[in-house]
Amino acid sequence: MEIGRTLWLDLTLAGLITGGMYALVAVGLNLQYGLMRVMNIAHGEFLMVGAYLAYWAYTLTGVSPLLTLPAVFVALFLIGLLVFRLCFRRIARASPSVEVLEARSLLVGFGLMFLIQNGAYLAWGADLRGYEYLARPVEIAGARFGANRLVVFAFAVGVSVVLLALLRFTLFGKAVRAMMQSPRGAQLVGIDVGLLHPVVFGVGLALAGVAGALLSMIYEISPAMGEPYTVTALIVITLGGLGSAPGSLLGGLLLGLVETYGTHVSNPSMKMLLSYGVFVLVLILRPRGLFAR
Amino acid sequence: MADVLLAARGVSVRFGGLIAVDGVDLEVSERELIGIIGPNGAGKTTLFHTLSGLVRPTAGRLSVRGRDLTGRPPHVFAAHGVARTFQTPRVFREMTAEANVRFGLEFAGRRRAHPHDAFDDARSILAFLGLAEVASVPAGALTPARQRLLEIGMAFGARPDVLLLDEVAAGLTERELETTAQLIRRVRDELGVAVVWIEHAVRALMGVVERVLVLHQGRKIADGSPALVARDRAVIEAYLGGEEPPA
Amino acid sequence: MSAARAVVATGAAALVLAAAPWLLSDFLLSLTVACLMYAGLAVSWAMFSGPTHYLSLATAAFFGLGAYVTAWGVATLPWALCVAGGGLVAAVFAALVGAAVLHLRGAYFAVLTFGLGELVRHAITYFEKSYFRTVGRVLTKTPDATTVYLTVLGVAAAAVAVAAVVRASRLGLALRGIGGDEERAQTLGVSTRRMKIAGFALSAFFAGAMGAAVAVRWTYIDPPAVFNPFIGLQTVLIAMVGGAATLGGPLASAVVFSLFTEFLRLRFPYAFLLVLGTLLIVLVLYLPGGLASLVERRRPAAAAGGAARGAGGPTRG
Repeated sequence: MEIGRTLWLDLTLAGLITGGMYALVAVGLNLQYGLMRVMNIAHGEFLMVGAYLAYWAYTLTGVSPLLTLPAVFVALFLIGLLVFRLCFRRIARASPSVEVLEARSLLVGFGLMFLIQNGAYLAWGADLRGYEYLARPVEIAGARFGANRLVVFAFAVGVSVVLLALLRFTLFGKAVRAMMQSPRGAQLVGIDVGLLHPVVFGVGLALAGVAGALLSMIYEISPAMGEPYTVTALIVITLGGLGSAPGSLLGGLLLGLVETYGTHVSNPSMKMLLSYGVFVLVLILRPRGLFAR
Repeated sequence: MADVLLAARGVSVRFGGLIAVDGVDLEVSERELIGIIGPNGAGKTTLFHTLSGLVRPTAGRLSVRGRDLTGRPPHVFAAHGVARTFQTPRVFREMTAEANVRFGLEFAGRRRAHPHDAFDDARSILAFLGLAEVASVPAGALTPARQRLLEIGMAFGARPDVLLLDEVAAGLTERELETTAQLIRRVRDELGVAVVWIEHAVRALMGVVERVLVLHQGRKIADGSPALVARDRAVIEAYLGGEEPPA
Repeated sequence: MSAARAVVATGAAALVLAAAPWLLSDFLLSLTVACLMYAGLAVSWAMFSGPTHYLSLATAAFFGLGAYVTAWGVATLPWALCVAGGGLVAAVFAALVGAAVLHLRGAYFAVLTFGLGELVRHAITYFEKSYFRTVGRVLTKTPDATTVYLTVLGVAAAAVAVAAVVRASRLGLALRGIGGDEERAQTLGVSTRRMKIAGFALSAFFAGAMGAAVAVRWTYIDPPAVFNPFIGLQTVLIAMVGGAATLGGPLASAVVFSLFTEFLRLRFPYAFLLVLGTLLIVLVLYLPGGLASLVERRRPAAAAGGAARGAGGPTRG
């Protein structure tokens, strides 16, 4: 009995830790899609760029990846402004309907994915890279976790919560939410799309970069590391509801738990099947997300 | 008495807490020309959505020629001879005007009898509407006024018994309004199609139709000849404080 | 071009191409197979997604299902049955799935169809692991290269011919109407649900048959190889770059892309994909109607004649 209880606690904590990271990975993409219907399928590639930035900063200068986070945020934010300016602004303006906008932005996203991923292969090679940081184990309620995992979890949830607070309580955040609910109405009351769209796109990429930098503390990194995270992000925002930031947080945690429990109670190859099964079922049965009213 | 083509009995539509249409009864008989008026938000367009199958009524029954079609999809209504237009023209912008009309002919109108030769093919429908010279122009390139006419042409393609016209005269000049009113009269007189016409331009409508329905806050508050309805107290009250008074 | 003429032209081209096994070297023959495979896939994708603007990423799923029919059946079933069976399995799968998901639009549909492909892949992996204890299988008894080539050619030609017929048919008109304004099409008598399922299943049939026909080129078949999302993605790219609203666009672009890929991908794998990505972005931004829109732009007057020329592709402005 005692062993069973520890095991469940162990699994729950592990699931939450994974889930917290999933939430952070997803929230940026969800903001972008919710605000401007731009499905940036290259999200994971920007995450990969963030991971490499943190990696190089640590291995070349020894700076703690936690200290590089603000720099990664700013760098990816600026890249985001540039990418928006070069690609998505034109699509948003030239598309006759939302569907066409979605289709085109998806294709451009695939283009960016090819571009960045293979650029990274050319620049950094295909090798897996990693570094040791805060890797010593910590014991919680009888279960052992790497200290770095706990730090990553704390940061991931912290960043998500700060973001939610910003969305809820600041003027800018209110403008973003107003824009998601009624683009027309928001424009009528004087919200400037020309400012809001690039900034939110930039923040989306910045969050991906931060997630990547955090993940580089735990996992090995490679140019191909981003793709699975894009898929994870898609699953999470489907669970949480497209465009809902709190939904992303809950969806991420939920997916983390489902995966961890699922992998434990059945064989590990069930994990992907389970994730996709949940994903497809939710999309079919509750396309507006599990938490939509 | 002429046959009842389209009947709505006690039809209500609720969106969440809002009641858009509230227990409306309506019977459309063969060759009838009916107008529906009412202030903004009175539920006119929502009523049309239920009559054409786009919105499923929360309560009440719909039947076409005695056959119950409540809850059936829009294409079934079209196949049974109920065709409609939309307030903002919803033409297939990238198809030519002729292809737009042919669309209805290929689907809803395909197996339907058409006593009048104006319904023979896309060309004759366009000719009836005075659109013959723009037959091969993409619909998206037509003027808004012509797109409204083409909307009617698309509905003709379905070879309907009942035509539901949703504000086909909105935004037209006084003169165009007159032409449209005459056209609607001709649709009934020459083609023998029953018409239900929603319009904000009450004066023009009252001059053409034989029967007027007045909706207010989702309810039918009057139903009768234009002369009778114009003197109705409830109608006058509904219109006070906003819209132009009827007639 | 009328449907009948397009079918005749396709038949004639197929007859000419049928001589290839006796004329071309092995290398050129396998290059031609790659061209034909992507031509068939792109044309069948555009058959449904071109007029409706539904961005389907399920091609890899259909292709993989077809390939697995071959993997499991090639040793016991007649070859023709394998190919037809691959198409049928994919079509039935598409019809079932379509009934459940074709009410979703835009990014939802794209993401869902992608997820379905992955779901099927993982389901098959799991199934193989649980029942056969191994993932993937080696094909021992396969038809010879000439038969495979002729089969691929046949499937591709059939896809093109059927696409031409569909464009001129009521189904094609209905699909264009659905792409233009689905509700309006409904109010004009189109059972949009039925038409979408029919179009989706028909398109899936050819992707499945192609998967079944091509599968034997790999001696070892496993889920990552045949459900490779890259196959689906490249199909979409080819069709959209060529112009999904047209028949000739995807066809021409399939040939160019396959040649490009076969020559460059092995030699400069990363640089090739980098260029591909850049090209894709530039095309979507500056030539959203695909290469076919360049041709059309040069003869705008000809367009006015054909009444049913219809709606543009997913990227048409």
